Amino acid sequence: MGDPGRRSGSRVVQLDADRPLVEAARRDPGRFDALYRKYVAQVYSYAYYELRDHHDAEDATERTFLQALVALPRFDERARPEDGEGASTFRVWLFRIARNVVSNRRREIRRRPQAPLEAAGAIAATTDLQAGVERRTEASEAWAAVDRLPADRRRALILRFVDEMSTQEIAGVLGRSEGAVRVLIHRALRSVARDLGVDGR
Amino acid sequence: MTHARDALEVEAIQTDRYLESLLTGSAAVAPDPAVAAAAGRLGRELVRVHPSFRFEDRLAHRLAEVAASIRARSAGGPEALPIQLLPFPIDPGLDPADPSLDAEARPSFPRAGPLLVGGAVASAAISIAGAAFVAWRLSRPGGDPLAMAGRVADAVRPNGPGGLP
Repeated sequence: MGDPGRRSGSRVVQLDADRPLVEAARRDPGRFDALYRKYVAQVYSYAYYELRDHHDAEDATERTFLQALVALPRFDERARPEDGEGASTFRVWLFRIARNVVSNRRREIRRRPQAPLEAAGAIAATTDLQAGVERRTEASEAWAAVDRLPADRRRALILRFVDEMSTQEIAGVLGRSEGAVRVLIHRALRSVARDLGVDGR
Repeated sequence: MTHARDALEVEAIQTDRYLESLLTGSAAVAPDPAVAAAAGRLGRELVRVHPSFRFEDRLAHRLAEVAASIRARSAGGPEALPIQLLPFPIDPGLDPADPSLDAEARPSFPRAGPLLVGGAVASAAISIAGAAFVAWRLSRPGGDPLAMAGRVADAVRPNGPGGLP
C-alpha cells in the first residue's frame, strides 16, 4: 500500500516478460521480428491443432501476426503480480487474435468439410516404421478425442498441452475466469479419458 | 447441488495442480487416475509443431515490409501517403462483408504483394483490386438452393429491399 514501487503503473508494466520487446517494436515496427520469432511456433501450433491443415495453419499464423503488428500501438499491458514471473500479457493478447482468426477459419471449414485428422499421422511419423504405425494410431485417437470436445474445452486443452500456458493465461485468451478454465480442463480430461477408454489402472 | 459444484471445483483445482507439476517436472499427487492417464496421453501426443523455415522466413519478410510501411507512414514521407490495405478477399470462400465474422479477424490483408504503394502505383493497385473483387463476386456460385430461396423471399417481401410498397 505504502510502497510506491508496487503501485499500479510502473509495477504492473514491469511484470510483463515481453515488455522490452514490445516497447522496442512500438518505437520501431521493424523490431517486431523478435516477438514474431519468439511466438511463431506457438501460434502456428495452436492453429495447426485447431485447423489440422498446414496451409490453413500458415494462413492463420500470417493473419495473426499481420494483425498484431498493425494493432500493436493499441496493445495494453495488464500483467498482475499474481501472474508470476515470466507472464506475458502480450502472449495472451496475441493468442486472442489467433483465437478469432482460427475460429473464423473453422467456421468456414464447417461450411466446406474437408478430410479430418490427417495431420495427426504426419506429426506422429517417425523413422521407425513399426513404431510409427502404432504411434500414428495413438495420435489419431487422441486427436479425435480432443476434436470431439466442445470448442472451449478443446481450445483450453490445446493451449494447456501444446502451448503450455498457465491457467491465468488461458483464462485471458478465452475470456473466462480462472475457476471456469480449471473446470473446463478438468471436464475435458474426463471426457478424453472416457473417449480413449483409459482409466489409469 | 452446491455440494456437487464445490466437489467439482475442488477436483478441478487438484487437476490444475497436477498439470502444473507435469509442466514443471515436480512431483504432485495424481488426482482421479483416469484424468491423470488422459493427461499423460495428451502430454505425449499433443506436441508443439514448427512451421517450415521457408514459411517462417517468407512471413518474416512480409512483416518487415509492413513494418517499413508503418515507419514510413509515421515519418510522413511522400512515398508513404497512400497506404492501401486492399479489400479483396484472401480466401474465395470467405466473404469480408459477412456480418458473422469477428471484426478483429475480418480479412484485410492481401496474401502477397506490396502493402505500401504510392501515386500511380496506388491507382493501378486499386483498379486491379477492384477488378479482382468484381471477378470474384461474378465467379461465386449462386449458393445453395436454400440461400437462393431466402434471397428471393426477402426480395419480394412487403417492406423488404425489393418488396412491394
